[in-house]
Amino acid sequence: MTPVAVYVHTPFCPSKCGYCDFNSYAMSGDVVDRTVAAMLEEIERSPWKGRPAKTVFFGGGTPTFLSESQICGLLEAVLEAHPPVEACEITSEANPGTVDMPKFAAMRAAGFNRISLGAQSFDSGDLMRLGRVHDADHIARAVGSARAAGFENLNLDLMFGLPGQSMRGWRRNLATALALRPDHLSLYGLTIEPNTRYYRLHLRGMLDLPDDDLVVEMYDEACSQCAAAGLEQYEISNFGRECQHNLCYWRGEEYLAYGPGAVGCFVDGEVRQRYTNMKHPERYVEAVESGGSLWCDSEVVDTPTHEFEKLMLGLRLNAGVSADVAHDAAGRAKMVASGWLEEVPGLLRLTPEGRHWCSTVTSELAPG
Amino acid sequence: MDQSHIRNFCIIAHIDHGKSTLADRILEATGAVRGTAQEQSLDTMELERERGITIKMTAVRMNYTAKNGQTYQFNLIDTPGHVDFTYEVSRALYACEGALLLVDATQGVEAQTIANASMAMNQNLTIIPVVNKMDLPHADLTMAQEEIENALALDATDAIPCSAKTGLGLEDILEAVVERVPPPSGDPAAPLRALIFDSHFDSYQGAVAYCRVRDGSVKPGDKIKMMSTGKVFQVDEVGVFRPSLERGLALECGEVGFVTGAIKNIGDASVGDTITLAENSAVDPLPGYRKAKPMVYCGLYPTDADDYQDLRDAIEKLQINDASLDFEPETSAALGFGFRCGFLGLLHMDIARERLEREFDLDLILTAPSVDYLIQRSNGTKDHISNPSEMPQPHELASIEEPVVDATIMVPNEYVGTVMTLCQDRRGTYVRTEYPSPKRAILYYTLPLGEILLDFFDKLKSSTKGYASFDYELAGYEASDLVKVDILLNGDIVDALSFIVNRQFAYYRGKAIVEQLRKVVPRQQFEVRIQAAIGSKVISADTIKPFRKNVIAKCYGGDVSRKRKLLEKQKKGKKRMKNIGSIEVPQEAFLSVLKVAE
Repeated sequence: MTPVAVYVHTPFCPSKCGYCDFNSYAMSGDVVDRTVAAMLEEIERSPWKGRPAKTVFFGGGTPTFLSESQICGLLEAVLEAHPPVEACEITSEANPGTVDMPKFAAMRAAGFNRISLGAQSFDSGDLMRLGRVHDADHIARAVGSARAAGFENLNLDLMFGLPGQSMRGWRRNLATALALRPDHLSLYGLTIEPNTRYYRLHLRGMLDLPDDDLVVEMYDEACSQCAAAGLEQYEISNFGRECQHNLCYWRGEEYLAYGPGAVGCFVDGEVRQRYTNMKHPERYVEAVESGGSLWCDSEVVDTPTHEFEKLMLGLRLNAGVSADVAHDAAGRAKMVASGWLEEVPGLLRLTPEGRHWCSTVTSELAPG
Repeated sequence: MDQSHIRNFCIIAHIDHGKSTLADRILEATGAVRGTAQEQSLDTMELERERGITIKMTAVRMNYTAKNGQTYQFNLIDTPGHVDFTYEVSRALYACEGALLLVDATQGVEAQTIANASMAMNQNLTIIPVVNKMDLPHADLTMAQEEIENALALDATDAIPCSAKTGLGLEDILEAVVERVPPPSGDPAAPLRALIFDSHFDSYQGAVAYCRVRDGSVKPGDKIKMMSTGKVFQVDEVGVFRPSLERGLALECGEVGFVTGAIKNIGDASVGDTITLAENSAVDPLPGYRKAKPMVYCGLYPTDADDYQDLRDAIEKLQINDASLDFEPETSAALGFGFRCGFLGLLHMDIARERLEREFDLDLILTAPSVDYLIQRSNGTKDHISNPSEMPQPHELASIEEPVVDATIMVPNEYVGTVMTLCQDRRGTYVRTEYPSPKRAILYYTLPLGEILLDFFDKLKSSTKGYASFDYELAGYEASDLVKVDILLNGDIVDALSFIVNRQFAYYRGKAIVEQLRKVVPRQQFEVRIQAAIGSKVISADTIKPFRKNVIAKCYGGDVSRKRKLLEKQKKGKKRMKNIGSIEVPQEAFLSVLKVAE
């Protein structure tokens, strides 16, 4: 059986951040325990049991919001259902405010070998406006603890284009982050999503967002600083030692998913199917307990759609995407002429300027 | 049925005076429809229901047993009430001998009451005044009667009070139809003469001609001849509307119904034509209808140039059901191949667009509406132009005349001043004032048609708290100081956005359109300059700053579907845009001229 990427979604957070539209809930107590029990049950009953894990990724929410025994127990169940391949990358996201040295040590012992810290910013004003529970000191301490616990592969998430953020503030953030010597950086431009507090504030004109020009400059600045620090860009938002799990997404491969609201995509015979689990923890628990389907949504990804997705995702990679999935010759010529796209034998890839225009290039290359 | 027991009548009224509701009650009372499950039975088009107005008239056959114990055949023809559809009202009148003149007891006589009633009087129809909405607390029968007498010079002493809502007075109305409306007067023994007053196209039966048999009769199997073209068809079916089509054995003298005969070419069942028999033909056709004259013109283009042929087919099909729609091919440098279409008014234009998009699944772009101008060139030649791009250069132009209308505005006394100011702002010429009742005035104005096209009616309504009513009739041409204003995007004239306007409003309108365009044209990947100009003189300008990037966001396993759908949606949106040079312009841009508020 071919190895496959495995994703585990833990939907709990200490509090809900203003910009966040992920499937996360500020819940605690009994419902957390019942959800974890249901997740163990889901993994135990998995139809894909026995398929080896190519990578494992715990995301959220905040996986480290769970207790040591809960998170380690979940990993144990995953590894039992999906024996890890040699040198399997096993990541957990972590919130700097919800971790300490003993927890990291226990996680490392359970098998996790990569930590992704949601730092977001080192500026206390930014962090407060984002609604994060940690402050700048927590981040440095969390990095130290993770290293001490034996994590040799560590990522920091940072956000740019934040309300009130200046170029100076962003540069300081980057420098502080790089000084912590992470193996990897993920840099995300803030997007205002519907159903968030930020969205409502934005509608009322109460978010002081930097304009397009400044956001582009912030992004370019980050790309050059990462390069100078030896973190090579390999994807639009990602720099440094490649995340094997996320590469599976960008290459259009299969991924299995467990937990409330988790999204998986698998091939069964000729059919590629994507599914989403029940999102609300209570609904999810009910579904697991009743023994019925856990899906709240599913779609068959037919060949043209899959090709479009491969194009959309593959273009994000610096390595480029197979030229076979670009069907619009005129659009391709136009994008090359505008200096946003490069043709290398068999591949198409974005130029540095083109990385600002990934969606436009995708649309231009896609069939009518 | 014996001709003496047939009654053909219609209901004419100002919009919202309760015509469709009364029609429903009559249908129920005669058992033509059961119950009130579906209110306003005669409004069959989805659009009509949505907008709460009647666009296409419908003719319904009913049987009514009168107090005298005899059974009569009623043919009720429903008519539209909006000012745009005066022409459809005029066609309905040709099929009738009588009309119920419906007046709202709380509103009294309104502008369209006057317009429609005069049309009916010119047709020598018997008019039965009916005062509706008597169930409302503010109903005022005396006021309504006074206004009918003063404004219409009709005897209103035996006006029938009624409430279409509660059914009050319904029997009196039905009895009055029997007693007062004369039976049809045709000759059953004479050669067939049937007047086509409407039609629709059915994909299985071909053209369905709605007609009124004046003389003779027609039945399936008959060979019929269209008198204007001489073309012969064999009748498949005849029948009546109950209100849906119901097949019958024959249409007799005086009756109203439909005829089909595998008439594939829609032009062969044209409204106003007379149907006769191929053998034993009538000698003279019935007098045809006055052809509706379009008031408003605009360009109609497919968003996707590949849909041109589909658009042509769709307009042709729509035209058979909408005889007042006029069109001819035209080309635009900006928009490619399309059609110049003439409409009765803006509502008519909007409805036609919506029907084309909805019923034929087309994506359309409409250009700025224009009226028909009469120009004289320096070399003495004269021309009608309805497309601003045909306007000669200023030095080639000797004079230009614009269409004007005789407007009738009915308004409570306290708003007379407001309305006069509005009319003056629109370059109106005062004619006279009449007072049909102590509290209300009728203002007569001559107004340039181009000035009332866009938002005059809205303005009139809003400045009189909704009390004013308005009707107009074309009254010829008058000289005027008009100029063509061009709109330029990055230096190129967008011909589809040019418009003709009185010189004194040119600056204001140009500026407003530039502002409107700045709002609706999305940011592009380069700077876009928008200008309004008269000849080479720029009168207003603005720029749209370029984009610098797309959203730079993460994309992992849970984001794929959503991100893909977003891109697909954007791509679809792009398809609805028109490329002018390298600038993507959304459809709304071409209607921005309409949205220019005061």
